[in-house]
Amino acid sequence: MKFKTQKIAYWFFASALLLLVLQIVYGFIMGFAHMGYDVLHDLIPFNTARAVHTNLLVVWLLLGFMGSAYYIIPEEADRELAWPKLAWVQLISFLIVGVVAVVCYHLNIWEGRKFLEIPRPLDYLVVANVLLFLANIGWTVWNGKRFTTTSIVLYMGLLAAALLYLPGMISFDNQTLDSFYRWWVVHLWVEGVWELIMGGILCYLLIKLTGVDREIVEKWLYIIVGLTFISGILGTGHHYYYIGVPRYWLIVGGIFSALEPLAFLGMAMYALAMAKKGGRKHPNKTALTWTLGCAIMSFVGAGFLGFAHTLPQVNLWTHGTLVTAMHGHLAFWGAYAMINFAMIAYAMPLMTGRKLWDTSASIWGFWISNIGMVAMTAAFAVAGVSQVVLERRTGIDFLQVQKEIEWHFFGMVLAAALFTVGILLFILNFIRYGRPTDEALGSDPAES
Amino acid sequence: MLSKSQARAFFLGGTGVFTLAFLALTYDSHKQVPRLTNEDQLSEQVIAGKKIWEDNNCMGCHTLFGEGAYYAPELTKVVERRGKDWMRLFLKDPQAMYPGERKMVQYNFTDEEIENVIAFFEWCGKVDLNGFPADPPLGRVAAPIVTTGKSNVPKPQMFATICSACHMVGGAGGNVGPALDMVGTKMDREAMKAWISDPQKIKPGTAMPQIPMTPEQLDEIVDYLLSLSENH
Repeated sequence: MKFKTQKIAYWFFASALLLLVLQIVYGFIMGFAHMGYDVLHDLIPFNTARAVHTNLLVVWLLLGFMGSAYYIIPEEADRELAWPKLAWVQLISFLIVGVVAVVCYHLNIWEGRKFLEIPRPLDYLVVANVLLFLANIGWTVWNGKRFTTTSIVLYMGLLAAALLYLPGMISFDNQTLDSFYRWWVVHLWVEGVWELIMGGILCYLLIKLTGVDREIVEKWLYIIVGLTFISGILGTGHHYYYIGVPRYWLIVGGIFSALEPLAFLGMAMYALAMAKKGGRKHPNKTALTWTLGCAIMSFVGAGFLGFAHTLPQVNLWTHGTLVTAMHGHLAFWGAYAMINFAMIAYAMPLMTGRKLWDTSASIWGFWISNIGMVAMTAAFAVAGVSQVVLERRTGIDFLQVQKEIEWHFFGMVLAAALFTVGILLFILNFIRYGRPTDEALGSDPAES
Repeated sequence: MLSKSQARAFFLGGTGVFTLAFLALTYDSHKQVPRLTNEDQLSEQVIAGKKIWEDNNCMGCHTLFGEGAYYAPELTKVVERRGKDWMRLFLKDPQAMYPGERKMVQYNFTDEEIENVIAFFEWCGKVDLNGFPADPPLGRVAAPIVTTGKSNVPKPQMFATICSACHMVGGAGGNVGPALDMVGTKMDREAMKAWISDPQKIKPGTAMPQIPMTPEQLDEIVDYLLSLSENH
């Protein structure tokens, strides 16, 4: 840590992890409901649990991104954060908005559009909040002592994410148009600008952890994010196959989605190549493990499993089944949860001055959570493929099929328990670091 | 080897070109959507139905156009599949239709709200979705035809709209409950009437719902079912 104001990142990370735990709790509620034990139906019906589960995911990932930006940007710009108090205001108000939204979902108050469920008045608060964040970060970059590609890419990603939130706030009477523009937010976030954010953080971590020359790491960052946008923008078409828009989306979406794994493959090869090339041996092996793990798992989850059902010929049968949930879990974990974990694992020892990076809790945390998530994905895959064959291919009634696949959800819940153990170990390690302190200034071996 | 400024040009150029292509396709799609979705049929009632769909986050369990959650059935062609009478009865009390099965929230919709929701689904069912949802290609394997379903008693309206959502006769109908072609050989008139009037009383925990009906409707259905096996 080089600047005192970087410490604010700790509180964003702590809040993010807290919300992650809550997200997992609601995930279990849904898992049990799928097994036939919908015991909380009267208090927390499935649609509430589902909205809370996915929205908390988005909120904690965004908190993680914001924390990462508050840590990275001062260092990249080589100055203190412009307005540290504003960052506090922004954190607290963001948490309040999140909590109010979650409470609303329990009272049947929402917009009822997948992933964008938060009630309209809260939308405006989110926009205001994100503007504060962007102003704070933007001012720091603008008045910094240096401009780096890493900070520009990270900032562009965050700015574009904020802009793309807006199309989701337009309402249409026509369900098709509603859906069309909803994907501008959802798809162009996760398969577009969030990858810029991820790329920016990944690039920063690779520079710090491998010691490879900044010019080389950043050059390849441009190529990777270029590939992401070339494939990802028109790749939006894979959401447009069957919603009432023209047929050419089957071709456009099919071709460009097939290219999307290449961007992720590029990202994985890039990270591995830099790690291999790196001469400097940074002592924080755990952070490097999470960084490389993220690059690999994002290719498997987002790239490979995404491709497994984006061809229109396949998607005609898998669209709207549990196969989507299979892809969704590993994609979000690999690409966005793991990049946050990598950043947390990297920043914690530097903010607190305690070198707990290779404790058994941190190492086991990595392996157990990853094995748990892969097993969950496998359970979803078996359930999803069974559903496709029984319901979509042979025409057996929906509820009858759901009964047939209940046992796969038993397996899924077991895997989720394993995953949770891994997450708790990571959090245990996080707590053992204690609070950030100014005494940790200048503690980064990468700075020497 | 590639320089950093060339890499940047690749990123900016690629992003620019494909953003423009995406915007052009968006413009064209936007122009075609009114035709593909029969926007002229987008009545006040349909819009009111859509609002109910959103206000209750129906997408949190169901899918529509294949979008939503995977906990409850896909509803794009639900009007075609179930019929309006069945939907009216179901939406009044969802759990009564599937006792002991996966639960839907009881929303206490008014009759008007139910009509609005049905109008919305009817509109959705007519949108040109490029072939989604596809008919099951192996469907015939799962639904063998047992009898011809001939009867000298006309099929009661109630049976055609409600009962056949779950039961098959002559190979047509739902497959949630057993086929009823030969039910007359297993039950007599009284047993059948007792069973339909209150299934839970005869067999607690059964999936068969108690369907509200008049004594005349009950007689019609029993007459029809008995005649099926007599004509076999």
